[in-house]
Amino acid sequence: MATLYATHCGSHSKGYAYSSFSPINGVQNQRLAFSSSFPWRDVSAKANVVLQSRRNSHQKAVLMQDGAVATTVTPIKNETTLKKSNDASMSIPSLEEYKDFAGLDVNGNEPTVSITVVGASGDLAKKKIFPALFALYYEDCLPKHFTIYGYARSKMTDAELRNMVSRTLTCRIDKRENCDEKMEQFLKRCFYHSGRYDSEENFAQLDKKLREHEGERVSNRLFYLSIPPNIFIDAVRCASSSASSANGWTRVIVEKPFGRDSESSSALTKALKQYLEEDQIFRIDHYLGKELVENLSVLRFSNLIFEPLWSRQYIRNVQFIFSEDFGTEGRGGYFDHYGIIRDIMQNHLLQMLALFAMETPVSLDAEDIRNEKVKVLRSMRPLQLEDVALGQYKNHTKGGVTYPAYTDDKTVPKDSLTPTFAAAALFIDNARWDGVPFLMKAGKALHTKRAEIRVQFRHVPGNLYNRNFGTDLDQATNELVIRVQPDEAIYLKINNKVPGLGMRLDRSNLNLHYAARYSKEIPDAYERLLLDAIEGERRLFIRSDELDAAWALFTPVLKELEEKKIVPEYYPYGGRGPVGAHYLAAKYKVRWGDLTVDQ
Amino acid sequence: MAAHFSTYSSSSPTFSPSSFNHGTQQSAKFSVLQPSTSSFPTWASRIRLKIQTRRRFRIKSSNGHSPNAISLQDGIAGSPLGKVNVEHPEKEDFFHFSEPGKIEFTLSITVVGASGDLAKKKIFPALFALYYEDCLPENFTIFGYARTKLTDEELRNMISKTLTCRIDKRENCEDKMDKFLKRCYYQSGQYDSEEHFAELDCKLKQKEDGKLSNRLFYLSIPPNIFVHVVRCASLKASSANGWTRVIVEKPFGRDSESSGELTRSLKQYLTEDQIFRIDHYLGKELVENLSVLRFSNLVFEPLWSRNYIRNVQFIFSEDFGTEGRGGYFDNYGIIRDIMQNHLLQILALFAMETPVSLAAEDIRNEKVKVLRSMRPLQLEDVVVGQYKGHSKGAKSYPGYTDDPTVSNDSLTPTFAAAALFINNARWDGVPFLMKAGKALNTKRAEIRVQFRHVPGNLYKHNFGTDLDKATNELVLHVQPDEAIYLKINNKVPGLGMKLDRSDLNLLYRARYPREIPDAYERLLLDAIEGERRLFIRSDELDAAWALFTPVLKELEEKKIVPELYPYGSRGPVGAHYLAAKHNVRWGDLSSEDS
Repeated sequence: MATLYATHCGSHSKGYAYSSFSPINGVQNQRLAFSSSFPWRDVSAKANVVLQSRRNSHQKAVLMQDGAVATTVTPIKNETTLKKSNDASMSIPSLEEYKDFAGLDVNGNEPTVSITVVGASGDLAKKKIFPALFALYYEDCLPKHFTIYGYARSKMTDAELRNMVSRTLTCRIDKRENCDEKMEQFLKRCFYHSGRYDSEENFAQLDKKLREHEGERVSNRLFYLSIPPNIFIDAVRCASSSASSANGWTRVIVEKPFGRDSESSSALTKALKQYLEEDQIFRIDHYLGKELVENLSVLRFSNLIFEPLWSRQYIRNVQFIFSEDFGTEGRGGYFDHYGIIRDIMQNHLLQMLALFAMETPVSLDAEDIRNEKVKVLRSMRPLQLEDVALGQYKNHTKGGVTYPAYTDDKTVPKDSLTPTFAAAALFIDNARWDGVPFLMKAGKALHTKRAEIRVQFRHVPGNLYNRNFGTDLDQATNELVIRVQPDEAIYLKINNKVPGLGMRLDRSNLNLHYAARYSKEIPDAYERLLLDAIEGERRLFIRSDELDAAWALFTPVLKELEEKKIVPEYYPYGGRGPVGAHYLAAKYKVRWGDLTVDQ
Repeated sequence: MAAHFSTYSSSSPTFSPSSFNHGTQQSAKFSVLQPSTSSFPTWASRIRLKIQTRRRFRIKSSNGHSPNAISLQDGIAGSPLGKVNVEHPEKEDFFHFSEPGKIEFTLSITVVGASGDLAKKKIFPALFALYYEDCLPENFTIFGYARTKLTDEELRNMISKTLTCRIDKRENCEDKMDKFLKRCYYQSGQYDSEEHFAELDCKLKQKEDGKLSNRLFYLSIPPNIFVHVVRCASLKASSANGWTRVIVEKPFGRDSESSGELTRSLKQYLTEDQIFRIDHYLGKELVENLSVLRFSNLVFEPLWSRNYIRNVQFIFSEDFGTEGRGGYFDNYGIIRDIMQNHLLQILALFAMETPVSLAAEDIRNEKVKVLRSMRPLQLEDVVVGQYKGHSKGAKSYPGYTDDPTVSNDSLTPTFAAAALFINNARWDGVPFLMKAGKALNTKRAEIRVQFRHVPGNLYKHNFGTDLDKATNELVLHVQPDEAIYLKINNKVPGLGMKLDRSDLNLLYRARYPREIPDAYERLLLDAIEGERRLFIRSDELDAAWALFTPVLKELEEKKIVPELYPYGSRGPVGAHYLAAKHNVRWGDLSSEDS
């Protein structure tokens, strides 16, 4: 039964249990549609169910398409939230209803989900996707009946795939028991099909195999495109036309890059839309699956003490910082074509910014949240050339070890101007954030590895302790730091008195260190995102209009950089990045929080 | 010399005249500096310290021969006089400037009641700690005074048993102790004998050796002899050329009348600025930090009002009873012993408006304003309790009335909970709850600030429990284990969306491994320096009594019987009903309690 595996996967286990599979018979859909008034994720998954079924029947169900931000769906929700009795009956279904919701088909079979990893022999598949699928299986988060297919050009047997996959599977540190057994059971559900990415015939063969596994059950199909962007469309075309589910949903997960600029991105979207509906496209930004990024909204909206401070009145600036302590390491071919701005800023950091800065959504429904994010992005001023500082790492010798420069990478042209570091100042021209600099910084081959959000508050007006203090209290302002990785933590820098007879002030931290409080291993971002895609929860995926708005902010400056052949400032491998970033910050009266002495 | 003052004891005065050589002309410029301490080992800050110190001498000169000494007297809170101190320092006569290099200063500290418990356990150790930290002036003398016949040697012997060095500063400890003890002397005498105090004066003069003398009397004696001692000391043992100050400890009366009477009597012999009423809770590290938190962080002040704060709780508990020493306590009860002073003082600091500056008078003015905005406590807003005997395992704990020093039919509360209200714009309608008790299950003192619920909380449906109850809470642990933490809601890591209340915390022990000084050290040092911020002014005391006197009288007149609770328990349940009446839950007794 569905309930058996649902205990901790969905936010609301029961809801998940009966909502993750799509019943397609119309009457029930009607009722399920109303349940979208519930803000929690599993229920919104139910709402999606309706959308999914629509794909086949092409009714006039109202979707949030790109740009069509406010649609008629919202009023329906509001209406139904008021219907308490209706809600109640939905949340505690009778056994009979339960059976219906669970999506049992006429024959009493549970639906099945088939997950096809396209590009199964690639790195991402091996390192992230298969392990995440296993973790979901291990945690009983996958439906009872599921099949995993690897699809790639290489010739491989099922056993060879299993062998390859098995090397990267691990169990949660805190759950070692039965690990081997579970692995075996998982691997038995993994199969391989070799084929070309642009061959409808090969995908038709896959379809046939899938059907064998699916039997008579309602079949839901998820394709994970772990392939280079130039073959996205081919694979989508083939999968859609030859391997779509006949009676369940078909969804496609795509990973960045989503184009290089506004034009190529929208060309990609247009091409995808030839074969897929908006609601079938799951654009992954795996940063949105990070625990602390998920927690950002919880912090803001479920604590009284933060929201009053969340505006230009109290916040002086916000910093989004990403750094890696390694370079391209011989694999710069892809990167060189994109650069750090496209690779990190335009997606990961901008997504965090949008979540950080958005207004309170009407509900936690995916569309409500994404609507608010789009609003933020559209309120932003496109990035200006003078608000960007670029860098590229050069080689550096430390203690006998020489670290290579970016252009020493064999896959990178010697005269490459591609930035491996960038800092940018962005502004949101709305009532809440007018004038507050949002600074971003992303770089490779730096001295540390981290991703964090820093919120620097304004100084205390008329600070009584100003005269008491040698240092400038106006600089020792409060700061909220959300460290996304590594070592997830939240801390608030406050001024307090150093214990003792004197009156010396000190900045110390009110902190929450995740490792200390939560001994459980934090799931990888891919686990969450895969689970959400299976459940049809779109909150953490990027809608087409979001993507357009994001590109609109960065495209002009990216073009300008390339046209003017702006030379990046060089910084040594393992250094703190180019000093240009400091001058950019200084221009807006900001100090980077991560490079101060007491950080 | 200045140099021997360690950096963190920077507030300590430098008594050597040479230290006044720099910057005499600057005195006006620097005189607006706050009297509170600062501590920078730099040359510049040392100068500043010296200047601050000088400013303090001015206060000293105002007593003894109080010509136009300006002090805020009872009741004239907020009068412009208070600012005179700060604004016209150039008028001050720094008499020691006139002849730099010729006058030396000396400080004599007389502990009256030297053989008592407080003296042994707190005062002498605190004085030693100050000495150890180089916070005392170079020339100082300590005298013990009591009725018992003791030689100097015997006194030293008695004291030495309770002296300890800071855990982190063991070096030279023995050496330092010896030196310290050599400065300690004893004079026996009656507390009401002017003659005996004249003898003390004689001895003090010997030690002072013609130097300019400042004298501090610490009255560690029962309240009924306060006035006698003050009379004798003031008449016979005042400093002739320096300041004379008197530290008194609670109880300051039992109600408005007796307190007013005590103040009046003290004022026959002392001026307001000579009286240092100690409330040792004000010397606690986290109570000191309360103002720092509020006024030097942007993130707290916007929240500090009825708009965001649902209620505030001041909680004090001891895990032991009177243990055979209930004689004093039985006459006062927990409300007088803890609430009317310690908890109310913390409340006033918590709730006061931003003062004009950190100067003592500015802060005390604001505190008085809060107290005067409060509604006197009503009988229906009080719950009283008394502990009874309790056997746990093989061990049996006595009831309060089992104490031989307590009458068997005593109705004195050993526990009380109260709801107070401040009728001003900032706090209207916010319950300020207090709870204090003996013989409870735990020992702690803390402030809990419970915030309101999040209006229109998006996550409300997401959550099994009631999010409107899982509100934010700021907790200041005053003792033991000083800590600050802020309870926030966050997501439990994992695939689901489960919310959890966790803490953003600052545990002092973890961040500041150094030993935190005892409250008495700070207060003694402040008294020596003439820093009055942490002492209670007469008008404050009056206002505090005005809040509690009516209900105290009513309790006694109506012979309200306290609810009995077992020794070592969580106290009477009546406290919960009182809280419930005001829609509050005690934060310390919730299941996730920490």
